[in-house]
Amino acid sequence: MRRASTSQEHQREQRRDGRQDMSRPSRLTAPLLRLSGLVGSLALLSVPACTRAASAVEGGQASAGARPATAALGQATTRPVEDQPVGPVPGIGDVPPLANPLQGDRSALQEGRRLFVRYNCSGCHGGRAGGGMGPSLRDPSWLYGSTPDRIFSSIAQGRGHGMPSWGVRLPEKQLWELTLYVSSLRTPDEPEAP
Amino acid sequence: MTGTRLLRTTAIAALAAGAACHGDHEPPHLAMERTGAVTDVAGSKPNVHLVSPLPNGEWRLPSGDYANTRFSPLNQINTSNAQNLHVLTTASTGVPHGHEGGPLVVNNVMYVVTPFPNNLIAIDLHKPSGAIKFIYQPHPDPRAVGIACCDVVNRGASYADGKIIYNLLDAETVAVDANSGAEVWRTRVGNIDIGETTTMAALVVKDKVLVGSSGGELGVRGWMAALDVATGKEVWRAYATGPDADVLIGSEFHAFYPKDQAPNQGVTTWAGEQWKLGGANPWGWISYDPELNLVYYGTGNPGVWNPDLRPGDNKWSCSIIARNPDNGHAVWATQLVPHDHHDYDEIMENVLVDMDWPQDGKLQKQRKLLLHPGRTGFMYVMDRRTGEILSAEKYVESTNWARRYDLKTGLPDEDVTKHTGSGKIVEDICPSSTGAKDFTPSAFSPLTGLLYIPAHNTCMNYEGIEANYIAGTPYLGADVKMYPGPGGFQGELVAWDPVAAKKVWGVREDKLPVYSGVLATGGNLVFYGTMDGFFRALDARTGTMLFQFHAGSGIVGNPITYQGPDGKQYVAVYAGVGGWMGAVASPDVSADDPYAGLGVVGAMKELKKVTGLGDTLYVFGL
Repeated sequence: MRRASTSQEHQREQRRDGRQDMSRPSRLTAPLLRLSGLVGSLALLSVPACTRAASAVEGGQASAGARPATAALGQATTRPVEDQPVGPVPGIGDVPPLANPLQGDRSALQEGRRLFVRYNCSGCHGGRAGGGMGPSLRDPSWLYGSTPDRIFSSIAQGRGHGMPSWGVRLPEKQLWELTLYVSSLRTPDEPEAP
Repeated sequence: MTGTRLLRTTAIAALAAGAACHGDHEPPHLAMERTGAVTDVAGSKPNVHLVSPLPNGEWRLPSGDYANTRFSPLNQINTSNAQNLHVLTTASTGVPHGHEGGPLVVNNVMYVVTPFPNNLIAIDLHKPSGAIKFIYQPHPDPRAVGIACCDVVNRGASYADGKIIYNLLDAETVAVDANSGAEVWRTRVGNIDIGETTTMAALVVKDKVLVGSSGGELGVRGWMAALDVATGKEVWRAYATGPDADVLIGSEFHAFYPKDQAPNQGVTTWAGEQWKLGGANPWGWISYDPELNLVYYGTGNPGVWNPDLRPGDNKWSCSIIARNPDNGHAVWATQLVPHDHHDYDEIMENVLVDMDWPQDGKLQKQRKLLLHPGRTGFMYVMDRRTGEILSAEKYVESTNWARRYDLKTGLPDEDVTKHTGSGKIVEDICPSSTGAKDFTPSAFSPLTGLLYIPAHNTCMNYEGIEANYIAGTPYLGADVKMYPGPGGFQGELVAWDPVAAKKVWGVREDKLPVYSGVLATGGNLVFYGTMDGFFRALDARTGTMLFQFHAGSGIVGNPITYQGPDGKQYVAVYAGVGGWMGAVASPDVSADDPYAGLGVVGAMKELKKVTGLGDTLYVFGL
């Protein structure tokens, strides 16, 4: 088995084309927002992808960086496993979810819908989030959990099979706005419902 | 029939003799002759000449032959006995996604390429019920799943030089030893980080493997690459946009129409540097004329979808291009639609056949034709030496984006009220972006002189919206909603006379498009499948249905036929609904969002009620 050497050459050529490379800074990062009121609740930002995002946000790094992601699981992880019979271990639904800090903010909901189109989420997940290249967000099936913190985490960290890690590109406020929109689907609050 | 039998006997003797030297690097065209391939079929219409040897007992190329006829002269199964067809065996591929391609059959082994993760399953046809000879697992990068626009499909493989050669979803091409299943070479041809995938069936022409890009929905700048069949090393690459040096337009190039003749139109027909995101990916079928030594393929939609964001003719999107396979140089190009407003990719099959053509009141003998049933709803007949459009007539009546073609200029007479753009919702555009047909290939029978086209009758509303290029994500700028077209039907198998430019007969589907490939045979049969899972044999002359079987999933693949080691004829097809129009069959897609799946769900809501995902190979016989 051997790989032809053309692949690297080809990729270099693409770089010369001036295309945007996801690994380099993007014009999308430009409108970074102040989030001093939010960071206290952003325990999830400690996952690697989000930490990088937080560092780009003024005031985000110091307060968000310290807590391990598992802290969000609450008491379930505090007892040493070796002292206990194995199982039952908590599932996704057994842990109290973090609320969306923008819950109830109607302008944030509209902004979430706008960003869903602007960042091409609609191209993958469907014009009204019914799916396509990516899975539907309108159905009762949630691979990675349906609570706001889980949705935030899926957007921020990315998921296997092609979901990008938007946490390295977008400010936290926008991630929560997108989360708010996704949470609103098939509810009376959904903006631009089909 | 006797002639066919005789050739087949010779072929089996040759196969037995050839077995000892398996693995020798024989030229593909010699391999074709060894199988008893023929170009002249008993009972053909007079003056129909086929330019490529036909598959006669085997199926070694994605379309069977180089000319994309999808015709096999096998005739054991024919109009007198087709009603006795039944399922002989089935096999699961284990991947419940769109099965768009078809298997190969070489040396009594059947080769199946699955959708992502693109496993190659070799089935020994000597053994009862098809024992597995080997399974090759390439393990492509799973991130490719998220950038494939229209399901994780694969459209087939080629056999050449003792190898099965095909593309992986993550923009790699592999060659696998047909006997052992060992990987011989593996070449990265594209970069998934910028949205490049490879879904088309690689075609081997002489000593080169031709591979084209997918990614027209992600701002991928399209290309066709040629790899060395022995080593996988890239020999040439021709882009579809950019300077002539990149498009490989040089001294060999002579476009027929003045509109296509100016230099560097891959740059000058775009605003600024939009050509770098200009799409025009050749993700469909390639055909080859061994007599003219030219390959032909069509290019896809320009990027971005919203036409206001890319002023100009946007060359070479929506074009048919002829190239010299030895060096990749373009010989002619004809753009069928300038400045596409509707996502009408023209990547459909180009069927190569010589037929008498009426010219200036008399018949021109055996004119070298290229038949291209367009996504636009027009059936294009072109002179494949020059790129001249000889006729362009609507094969789906609802087509309304253009009234006709001006054959002198090669330009469509467009209805400008159907032009899409920013800030307006244009309604009742027919056909929809999925076309009057999509990639699913037609078949041509030299016995009837007819082309059998799997057609759609679907329309759409289209709103141009903002678009932001973010590498590796969709680059559309359009909010599209599709729905069934007028007339009470949504699909039709159309038998089309390309010389008379008219429909001879059609078999309609009420609620679903016809989204499978077609096979025509020496038994005067036409085989195809429906999205609700019916597999059918029709009389090629009349359209009378002679056989029908309901499979476990909708059919979006391409039937093939072959002769088993027992000397009997078989027909094989995949049943595994999916692809763009089949997206809604997936539980991951919701039927309550008509804008889902790039707008296709609005037209396909019924699908969830009549079929589900599948992953089954069916083999039929008498």
